[in-house]
Amino acid sequence: MRFRAPVRRAGDGFVIDVDDDEAALIGRLSGELRALLAEEPDDPAAQALLGRLFPSAYLDDDELEAEYQRLMREELVASKLAALDIVDATMADDRTLDEGGLMAFMQSINSVRLVLGTMLDVSDDPESDEVAAGFEESPEYALYGYLSWLLEHCVQALSS
Amino acid sequence: MGVPTTLEPTVVRDPDADERVAEDHPWVVIVWNDPVNLMSYVTFVLQKLFGYSHEKATELMLDVHQKGKAVVANGAREQAEMYVFRLHEHGLWATMEKDGPSE
Repeated sequence: MRFRAPVRRAGDGFVIDVDDDEAALIGRLSGELRALLAEEPDDPAAQALLGRLFPSAYLDDDELEAEYQRLMREELVASKLAALDIVDATMADDRTLDEGGLMAFMQSINSVRLVLGTMLDVSDDPESDEVAAGFEESPEYALYGYLSWLLEHCVQALSS
Repeated sequence: MGVPTTLEPTVVRDPDADERVAEDHPWVVIVWNDPVNLMSYVTFVLQKLFGYSHEKATELMLDVHQKGKAVVANGAREQAEMYVFRLHEHGLWATMEKDGPSE
């Protein structure tokens, strides 16, 4: 049991109070998301995993939707990569960051959760299990839970 | 202090924030329920991006969660598109459509 929040205010900024193994894990996940973002747009497996990161903007207008994707997709990728740069630099350094940095860290953690959630087919339908059959005991589901915990503490720290 | 960052905090301070969903704008921005985003995170993002109070953001989040979606902002098309982009940046499932009685 740990009693210290993993994300806290410290001085003018915030500290991500994780141990070296956790920092290495976060760095690894950042690298995996970066690799996934670099996959070709015509790779169906990668694009299915990335679906939640790049939702449609227009449901009822194909032309405007195509224009949105053409103009914004690249910018959205750039934004996610910039956020991952901050994650990597923070984990490699003293694990402190300013508010903008923690926002980027939080967005990155959530991006990984969105990919894992897709992989695990997470559902909030009260009639079904939270994850697809066979995944209840999987390490990926444990990882998803860990990232949810970390994200929750990012929100709490930023709201404090 | 740790690493310098290039991303600015996304606070929008606006005294009329709770009036963001007004009557006379042609496009509405909708956030849809999804099973992955945490309720606390959705509330926080709505506060950050739109300057809503915690109460207002919580109310909208609960609408999303319980009714499946909520209109979180409206405006001219360019403005609405910028909001949708910011919501996508934060991983929320947001769309926009022309305001009207079609629902």
